[in-house]
Amino acid sequence: MAVLGRSLDGVGGIFEDRPRPTPDVIVFVLVAALMALGSVMVYSSTFVRLDEETGDPTSAMRRQMIFAGVALVTYVVASMIDYRLYRRFPFLIYGIMMIALIGVLFAPPQKGATRWIPVGAFQFQPSEFAKVALIVALASLLTGGAGRRLSWRSLGTALLMAAAPGFLIFLQPDLGTMLVVGFITVGMIFVAGSSIRQMLVLGASGVVGVMAVFQLDVLKSYQIARLAGFLDQASDLQGVNWNLYQSQIAIGSGQLVGRGLFQGTQTRLSFIPSQTTDFIFTAVGEQFGFIGGSAVILAYAILIWRVLIVAAVAPNAFGSMISVGMAALLSFHVFVNIGMTVGLVPVTGLPLPFMSAGGSAMIAMAGGLGIVNSVWRSRSPVSDRPEARDL
Amino acid sequence: MSDTRRPDGREQVTNSWRVGILALLFTGALSILFFRLWFVQLAAGPEWLVEADQNIVSSESIAAPRGDIVDRNGMVLATSVPGLIIEIDRSLLPIEVEDDVLQRLAAILELSPVEVRQAVERTGSGEVAALPEFEIDADTAYLIMEQRATLPGVTVRALPVRGYTQGSLMGHVLGHMGLPSPGDLERLPIADTNTPIGKLGVEREYEEFLRGAPGKHVYRINPEGAILEEIGTVDPTPGATVRLTLDVEAQAEVERILVEAIELSNALKETREEEGPAETPQPTERATAVVMEVNTGAILAMASYPTFEPQAFVGGIDVDSFEELSERQAFNNLAIQGVKPPASTFKSITYVTAMEENIFPEGVSSPEETIECSSQLAHDFGDDSQHLWRNWTYPESDGRQNLHDALRRSCNIYFWEVALSVWRAYARTDREGIVQEWARAVGVGRPTQVDLPFEHEGILGDRQLFEEWRENQPWRVRAEGWLGGDLMNIVVGQGPIVATPLQMAVAYASMLNGGTVYQPRVADAIETSDGERLRTLEPRVLRSVDISPETVASLRSDLTSVVRSGTARRAFEDLGGLVELVGGKTGTAQSFTDQEGVFHDSTAWFVGVAPIDAPRWVVAVMVDEGGSGGAVAAPAARAIFQYLLGTDVTPLVAGEDTER
Repeated sequence: MAVLGRSLDGVGGIFEDRPRPTPDVIVFVLVAALMALGSVMVYSSTFVRLDEETGDPTSAMRRQMIFAGVALVTYVVASMIDYRLYRRFPFLIYGIMMIALIGVLFAPPQKGATRWIPVGAFQFQPSEFAKVALIVALASLLTGGAGRRLSWRSLGTALLMAAAPGFLIFLQPDLGTMLVVGFITVGMIFVAGSSIRQMLVLGASGVVGVMAVFQLDVLKSYQIARLAGFLDQASDLQGVNWNLYQSQIAIGSGQLVGRGLFQGTQTRLSFIPSQTTDFIFTAVGEQFGFIGGSAVILAYAILIWRVLIVAAVAPNAFGSMISVGMAALLSFHVFVNIGMTVGLVPVTGLPLPFMSAGGSAMIAMAGGLGIVNSVWRSRSPVSDRPEARDL
Repeated sequence: MSDTRRPDGREQVTNSWRVGILALLFTGALSILFFRLWFVQLAAGPEWLVEADQNIVSSESIAAPRGDIVDRNGMVLATSVPGLIIEIDRSLLPIEVEDDVLQRLAAILELSPVEVRQAVERTGSGEVAALPEFEIDADTAYLIMEQRATLPGVTVRALPVRGYTQGSLMGHVLGHMGLPSPGDLERLPIADTNTPIGKLGVEREYEEFLRGAPGKHVYRINPEGAILEEIGTVDPTPGATVRLTLDVEAQAEVERILVEAIELSNALKETREEEGPAETPQPTERATAVVMEVNTGAILAMASYPTFEPQAFVGGIDVDSFEELSERQAFNNLAIQGVKPPASTFKSITYVTAMEENIFPEGVSSPEETIECSSQLAHDFGDDSQHLWRNWTYPESDGRQNLHDALRRSCNIYFWEVALSVWRAYARTDREGIVQEWARAVGVGRPTQVDLPFEHEGILGDRQLFEEWRENQPWRVRAEGWLGGDLMNIVVGQGPIVATPLQMAVAYASMLNGGTVYQPRVADAIETSDGERLRTLEPRVLRSVDISPETVASLRSDLTSVVRSGTARRAFEDLGGLVELVGGKTGTAQSFTDQEGVFHDSTAWFVGVAPIDAPRWVVAVMVDEGGSGGAVAAPAARAIFQYLLGTDVTPLVAGEDTER
């Protein structure tokens, strides 16, 4: 991995000028590895079709690698920027986020939704950045720290802050992302020191919200169909459950060691719709089997664990809360995305972090992890934490 | 939590335990993923793998060419020719345009839209409706392909179809094809309702050999079902060739002679009408003749008139033609289905019974002793049987006759006297039915087991049958049951007895070959399409009947005198010196007027063999309602013997009318 080696050298070089130059190399390696694997998976599920259609089998992979490169640069840059900077402009960040989310509603609809703003040859997806921006904005609000109760006022403000972008995302519509926003918010409120009573109120309003969503008939028919299909997975295999069915065929047929790279018939022949994006995990499952699939899950577990470590050791509540938010973001994406490919949760359009094809989510999450790394680098002296020894 | 100070003395900024709970939550979630993955890939994996393999493969059946049917010399009678048929893929035909499409298709095929719709509906509810009845030529196929855009779901597929080379020749033996009925699907190991199968004749009887096994193309497909590449082909196994025992040339000659016999019969009827008889007979329409090898059971020719063209069924026969042919009973193979009273041809069986059982008229103790063959016989059975029996063969007294004379002159009186002797000696004992037992032994009153479908076994009356009828079909039989008069009818082939010409041929063959009953058969061998022999159908002996050589020799000699100086003398005059080689018996089943007042003329029979000293062929001719056996059937048999013996076949001329 010459590329990775060079990047590491570069990162090392930056840190040499710093007083406590100890970046979290584990996170960097894991993110880069997931991106590399994602690119290969994108290739494996597109080369046959692309070769036939355009004679250029690598175009989708090249595009993905460009995004990965930009994302890694974003990660490094965000790592170097002192995260405390963001605390000075939470309203600016929040305001830009809201403008982008409102703006996207006026973009031309694609696939029945207005989630993307075309920027040249690329599609910019504001909601992916909005999640990270909201984490930063909420973190600046929820800085009570340990031992302090979260005030009802802060709770209410946090909920309002989350509800506004949540509602705009719902309008796109993008139910999956809206749920992520909700999960992140609840996770951060919990760690910020909410009382049991506050959590109960949150839970109750959540239940009321879900009921309202069904009662007010605001769900699109395809969303209801997906939910019904999930509840009866053996039904309508040619229709609403086609994705789920084909996805399980691909993953299931991988068995222990997989069918081998480029040997998966379902992947190669494009049996699974949205395979490079939402269903990228099926390519891993079919080609590398249980061993490959569980390795990917393990990689995410380590990544999330590292972020939670940062949350625990952060020098201030702001940094800690950013890390909590990012950990919640990653966990939710991984669980819902992989869970949907194996029939554990209903089909929801959430990308698998660093692997799904597409730039917005990858760059936004890499940026978010870069901020977390910035928190890590600014923590208390290296010597008192065993896991912070020079890596 | 109460301790908000870290060990280094700085204020703790994070609720560590809360982060811990979050960590636990995330760990739990990822563990669930892990175990679910375990289940999908390891526990259920093998099943998913099967689905994955099925997912990407699709196969298309390749029809097997049907095996040929050839005559004994290898002449091709039925073969498989490449044809084009129309298929309709319902999944590609939107329901709302179905009517329009079928109408357009009907216009191209020059059929009515109703016919096309019926054909489509006949194919059932499968996704693809194949219409083999719409066999089309290349031009029509081209027209359909051209108009593809307006005919969604309609395609043209190459499919081997049946081709018959000989028109209507041997039609009944060959049979015909048709789409399987629900009954066929139960009877045969087939599931494909779109591929025609044999419905009649050899096509039906040897279906399993002729059919072959379809092959298939296996394709790799994409998720839309489009073919990406062919990954394998299983070639179809062509059907086997069935080689018949029949000879095309002999068959053609026999069919031609049969038509001539019908013409002769009708000419005679016209003459009779001019002479002004009381009854007006229906025109003669049906006749049959069969030529069988006496010592193998192999059938050399089997003709039945009226006939049909098997080719008419390829691609579906139209309703009008079918009804017209049904009306004329053209699908009946009279040789195996035409059951008629065998009349005097049965006397040979009574003759053998008399010789073998030593039963002669009262006061007679040998075949050589004579009795007066008067014009009538009176006998009172003491029951309701007929009292007075008139000799219809010779209305006047025919002089004194022994058994040999009686067969030659077909004297009913003599045979009735034999029946009376049987009745007197054995009535109501287990030997009462010895005549029927002999008949059954040589092949009458039971299936011949010929290798053709739908054979009729006829009726051979006796006390047991009458008892059964009284139980099950009481309208068929009088209250008194079996009477002596019934036996008197039986011995001259009348009354409760009907038989097929093939049964009579088998009976004569087995009596004259010394008692060996062969299974008659039309197929000689099963061969591969390359001519390699898979199975030879050897002559099959059904049973052996114990007949003394003396009886056989006596019967041969007396049958010769029938054609030399008896009832068939005039009919066989044209055979010249070869008449020495032939022996046979005429038969004329009584005319009658049915309940609707329609007069049914006599049925003419002749059954004979040649060469008489070492019999090789048996010939049975039956002209339904054709008149006298001596006048109509015997001349036809003579012409057939002329052909078999290699001499010129001369035109038919009326023989002796033995009835009036």
